[in-house]
Amino acid sequence: MLITDRKLCIGKSLINVIKKSARSGVKAVQLREKDLTSKELLALARKIKKIRGIKLIINNRLDIALLSGAYGVHSPEKGIHAKHAKKLVPTKVGNYYNLIVGKSIHSLNQAIRVEKDGYDYLIFGPVFKTPSKIKYGPLQGLEKLKNVCQSVSIPVYAVGGINPQRAKKCIQAGAYGVAVIRAILKSKNIAGTIKEFKTAIGSL
Amino acid sequence: MKKIGRLCVITDTSVQKKYSHYEITKMAIKGGADVIQLRDKSLPTGELIETAIKIKKLCSKHKVLFIINDRVDIALISKADGVHLGKQDISIKDTRKLLGKNKIIGGTAHSLKEAIKREKEGADYIGFGHIYPTESKLKKAKPKGINYLKRVVKKVKIPVLAIGGINQVNIKDVICTGVHGAAVIGAVVKSTSPVKAVKKLRNAIYE
Repeated sequence: MLITDRKLCIGKSLINVIKKSARSGVKAVQLREKDLTSKELLALARKIKKIRGIKLIINNRLDIALLSGAYGVHSPEKGIHAKHAKKLVPTKVGNYYNLIVGKSIHSLNQAIRVEKDGYDYLIFGPVFKTPSKIKYGPLQGLEKLKNVCQSVSIPVYAVGGINPQRAKKCIQAGAYGVAVIRAILKSKNIAGTIKEFKTAIGSL
Repeated sequence: MKKIGRLCVITDTSVQKKYSHYEITKMAIKGGADVIQLRDKSLPTGELIETAIKIKKLCSKHKVLFIINDRVDIALISKADGVHLGKQDISIKDTRKLLGKNKIIGGTAHSLKEAIKREKEGADYIGFGHIYPTESKLKKAKPKGINYLKRVVKKVKIPVLAIGGINQVNIKDVICTGVHGAAVIGAVVKSTSPVKAVKKLRNAIYE
């Protein structure tokens, strides 16, 4: 899963980075641009939705997710509760019945609660040191990742300082996948980087 | 046409820290506000949802309309009566898709042209301003004044709520334009007695 931060895309547009990522085999993109207005965010989400082969997940905004026809909505630590998101989904808004809801968590206890709450997947981290996630508290490390993966049955994505070698370790620890920000957004050779990920973890 | 209250109190915790959204709501209802608009651009979504659900309960109990600024998803979740959309927010057309035709959608306008556009787009009411100088928002544009407000009120059919720098003194002039009502922030939340302030505003409107 690619998590966006358009400010990290220096000299290239976020849309082009996502297009390239999709072409290279990245399966999901989480649109996370907190400083955009609702109008701008919806416009960007609709653009991304048109890109083939990549699932769109919207960070924190259920309205934008519904209107853009996204695949899912991702709830940050203090974000929307699954019960609220799920209650709304099978309503009048066309074919959005399968909207999945994910959650960011930073401890084993949270992981267990989040699974009970009905979220469809979780993102756990920061597993490694990273500038993107510094504000999200202490490093969790691979041992804790392993504990989380063993304790819940929903897919766990590892986040925080992920590169191809580390991704391999996360998968070995039981992670379903990895969520990356800088490794792709700041890469000078996106296709090459993604290929390295593929080689390291088998498939994306 | 949907019934829109005439005195809207916008809960704002950025221009003051003394009162929470819920506390402002309680005082506003006690003073006789018709509409509560929850506006918060910085609170985490989870907390905003909890706040909205609490405020909605209180508003329902007192038959006061509850409107949420910008966040259509939170309006859906909290079963608010509607949303208020600024120019940077989701379009009225898209919002209708989510809220349906029965919910109230208000739109901000800063000019006659925008007001007419908002009406055409399907807004149920217009928040027009700012009428007077105000500190609530950093405004570069000049206040619109009473005469311009009069023109807007004449040209659009949907209710217009005047906003921006309206207080207990100047509200009489505002109401004289034939405007449907007023939306206030500072006049209430910065008042030493918010309940009294709302009462006075209400009296001026319904007098």
